[in-house]
Order: sequence, then structure tokens, then C-alpha cells
Amino acid sequence: MSQTITAAHSAAIDALHTAYLAALDKGDMAAWASTFAADNARYFCISAENDHRGLPLALMYDDCRGRIDDRVSFVTKVWVGTYEPYRTRHFIQRLSCEAAGNNQYRLTSGFTIMMSAEGGTTAVLTSGEYRDLIEIQGDGDKFRAVFRERRAVYDADVLPRYIVFPF
Amino acid sequence: MNAPMTPFAKPWIANPDGYRVPYEVFTDQVYYDQEQEHIFRGETWSFVGLDAELPNNGDFKSTAIGDTPVIVTRDQNGQLHVFKNLCMHRGALLVRESRGNAKSFDCVYHQWSFDLTGVLRGVPMRRGVRGEGGMPPAFDMANFGLDALRVEVMNGLIFASFSKTVEPLADYLGEGIVANIQRIFNRPIRIMGDYRQYIHGNWKLYAENVRDPYHGSLLHLFHSTFGLYRATQKGFTYMDPSNRHSLLKATASAAPTSASEDQEVYKDVRSYNTEFHLKDASILVGRPEFDDRASLVINAIFPNLLIQQIANCLAVRQSVTHASNAFEIVWTLFGYADDDEEMQMIRMKQSNLVGPAGLISMEDGEAIEIVQDAVIRDGKKTSVLAMGGVHSGSVDHMITEGPIIGFWENYARYLNLGADLKK
Ligand code: FES
Ligand SMILES: [Fe+2]
Repeated sequence: MSQTITAAHSAAIDALHTAYLAALDKGDMAAWASTFAADNARYFCISAENDHRGLPLALMYDDCRGRIDDRVSFVTKVWVGTYEPYRTRHFIQRLSCEAAGNNQYRLTSGFTIMMSAEGGTTAVLTSGEYRDLIEIQGDGDKFRAVFRERRAVYDADVLPRYIVFPF
Repeated sequence: MNAPMTPFAKPWIANPDGYRVPYEVFTDQVYYDQEQEHIFRGETWSFVGLDAELPNNGDFKSTAIGDTPVIVTRDQNGQLHVFKNLCMHRGALLVRESRGNAKSFDCVYHQWSFDLTGVLRGVPMRRGVRGEGGMPPAFDMANFGLDALRVEVMNGLIFASFSKTVEPLADYLGEGIVANIQRIFNRPIRIMGDYRQYIHGNWKLYAENVRDPYHGSLLHLFHSTFGLYRATQKGFTYMDPSNRHSLLKATASAAPTSASEDQEVYKDVRSYNTEFHLKDASILVGRPEFDDRASLVINAIFPNLLIQQIANCLAVRQSVTHASNAFEIVWTLFGYADDDEEMQMIRMKQSNLVGPAGLISMEDGEAIEIVQDAVIRDGKKTSVLAMGGVHSGSVDHMITEGPIIGFWENYARYLNLGADLKK
């Protein structure tokens, strides 16, 4: 199925990934949320350890669009002043892409997140794999890709610190 | 190693205006080494896991007590054992996987093989090769079994001790703490998964944090914002007779007696906001499941365990020490084996509350690290514990630092600090 993606859809998916990374690297939570489908979307951040064990527990479990919006508020409103500011750089490469019908694609990508704490050095936060269900919305030459579901499966068995921003 | 005890000679001070702990306990290697010997490998029971993690014969996990690596295993007869994770030949780490199922533990270095009860069963080349080499006649495999710890299991919680003389677990915990274990572990559980978080601070800062009901609604603004826990809420602080363990309990209603009382209590609190509303409030919609209708139970068990019930979010948290300025929290979240689908979903949603990114626990990691970073050069300066009066012991409210004082009184006793710390 992987050959069925058009160059235009592939470009839209690349643009979605770029928008996601750019949002998080700027710490722009609203822009992060806007990469998800407006009506119905899910975001999960889960350890590879739980994933391998077939256990559901997630570091972040946003099983509806409302909770994705609420996560924006948690970071930008509720938690303000309680965490040490840190900046991230996300890097990804696409590993696989399969058409899933209805203008949807299943993708996997490897990711690396570098973290720079205020006043500190830069270190690896974790690496991992994104498992996405992406939908192309709109038609003609006006379309964009959005996440129906993004599952970030992170590799670190022990996270090096507390976590504020999604992966 | 064998550090002189002189650093401990200075008395800790319990004055009417506060109980004072010198910051060097969080930074000085001497304390760290003494804790390993006298607390983690001393007269205590440490939590090492849940029997639900090892459902099958042959299942094992590796973990640590303090910083000593141990193996927890279920043998072929279903019996649980805890061993030092140390090969009896020349000291290699015997088990390197964090979990698995095995018929024996085989050291990778020279392939000595131990069965699941710790008995040495195989030594390659024991009789030499072509008549050359081999172990001497005096070498008796029976003398080289794994170092076994004492093990007790209470309602599925596995505890282990290096001590031959520590009191039985139920006596160590005391009736009130045993009752809470029976309350939460009242039927078979289902494990939801683990979180693991490294904290760049001393493990005792976390021991203080989980014995501190006073910080709950101040540090964790999610609590006060969404009414999960407010200081105006009725609750109590229980301590066992030895004051080692504590149980902080808030009853169901977090509603303020009056809006004006709430405003008064929180008038100095940054960004406290009762107007803020969730788009998806289902995270706060739970289901009462305990007769006492308590919404928040934080049960700290000396030295390395915390049992929590926050609404329907159930978890154990194990502390593993790495150094005087580093430890790890292992959280295991669980529900009950008979949870219906809706209840499983409630627990999944509420799992967002805790863990390294938890809505009411992320800040604990930060609080610990900012203390560690700041006290590093002020070892002789002291903290002050005064909220609720300068005493440990049970009280019928939660605006207290008493459980922290209880922790330090016991800490001083275990390390034989010498000073009479009681008022
Ligand atoms: S160290 Fe384990 S067999 Fe030699
Ligand atoms: Fe806390």
C-alpha cells in the first residue's frame, strides 16, 4: 500500500510534521494542539516499556480533543511558574507510511528530543517512535494533513526529569 | 566506607519555634553511606514489588533496595524469593534484564547457574578439562547459594529485609497502616503499567514531600483550581506508633465551607483561579469505591514506599537511591481485576494526575531539585519544620509537618545520631 501516496499528500504530511516540531520547539502549545483534527483526535505519550509489556499506562493520555485543549491550559495556565523553563529540539525521520483508506495514512517515524534547561547544557531527553494516524482534509489544491491520532512511544526506561511538554 | 561518626555528633534542634534539620543530610556522602547500611540494609522492610507483577512460576524482576540491586522471583512452586543481584563467584550482576521468565539464573561471566530458589546448581569445568584444573575438593556448591533476603507478602505487596532481627512486617507497619493496605489491596489487582522518573535530588527530600500534606494545595495548583483537594477540606494525619509511617487522608468533599473562606485561605496563593473550567471534565469524574469515601490517601511507608489513592487513581511508588543527589521513583499504577470497562477508562484518564508529567505530581520533581540545588553549599544551615506545632504523631487535620518530624526522629534513631531529638 505504501506506493499509493501522492506527492501532494506526502508533502502535506511533511508539512504537518514540521508544524508539530516547530510548535513544540517554540513552546507554542496552542500551535501544537492545532496540528490535531478539530473534531476528534487523540494524543498518547507512552513508554516503550509499557508498550512492550502490552500495558496501557501512558505518561499523557489525551483520548479526546477536549483533553488536548486542556493540556494546553495545564501547561500555559495551571502550571505557570511551577516548572523550570526548558527548550527542546525535535528531530524525526519517517520510517513507514501506509494508506489506511478515507484519505488517511498510518505512519511511523523515529524521533529524538534534545533538551536545554535554562542556565544549563543541552542533553538528550529521549528518543522514540511516533505512530500516527494522519488524515488529509480538504480537496482541490486546498488541503492539509492533521493528526487523528499521535502515539509517541518513548525509549527511555527512566525519564531523566519531570516532563511538562508533550513529546 | 566506615566513615567516622563525628559528623553526626552535632545535635539536631527541636525548639518551640521549629524542628531543624541540617541540609548536609541531603548532600553529604557520609549520610548516604550510613543510610544504605543502617536503613536500607538495616532493621527495616523495603517494598520490592507486587506479586501481580510475577503471576507465573519462573517470573522475575530486578529492582533495588536503596542502591543494592536485588532480584525478585517466583520459583517453580510459586514461592517468592528476593536475592541480592550478585553472582557468588566473582561478583558479576547476575540478572541484567528488568523482567522476564527463567528456569535458572545463569551468570554470563563463567556461567555459574543458580536455580530459582538461589541454590548453585552448575559450575562449568568444575571437574577440570581433560583432568586438568577444576575446583578443589573442599569446594562445596552448597556453600555458594545466592544471598537471600527475608521476604514477607502482605495482600500482594512484596517486602524484603536484609535484617534477620527486624520485627515481623505486620508489627513493623502497625495496625493502622496494615488496615490501609487491606483497604486498598482488598481484592486481586490488575497492573496498568509503570512510570520511571529520575530526580536530581536526595531521596529524603521525597520522603519529606510525601509526608507533607501542607504543600498539596499550594504547590499543586491543579488541586485547588479544580477542587480535587483544598486545605479547607476535612482530613486527618495518622502516624503509626513508631512515627515511621504516615497516612494522610482527605474525605470526599473538597467544597469549601463557604466561598469567602476559600478566598481567605488562598488569598496569597499565586494564580489560584476558581473560574477556570476544563473542556473535558471527565478526568475529574470518578466513582466512589471505598466505604470511607476518602478522595485522597497518601500512605508513606518507611523507608521506600508510598501507597496512593487519589480519587480512583491507585498506585505504589518505590524510591530507589542512586547517590546523595540522585534517586529514582518507580510508579506502578493499578486497578482491580474485576474493574468493568468504564472503571478501567476512569483510571486511565485519572492516570494523567500522577507520574513524571502528572497534573498534581510534576511539580514535586521540581520542588525537590530546587531544594537540592540551593542547599548544596549550606550544609550547616537548617530547614525549619513548624507547621502544626513542633511534634510528630497523629492529628485530626492536614495542616501539619508532623509526619516529616516523625521521619527525622526515626532517621536519627536508625543512624544513631545520638541527640535526643524529642522535645
Ligand atoms: S562472576 Fe559469575 S560465574 Fe564468574
Ligand atoms: Fe506533591
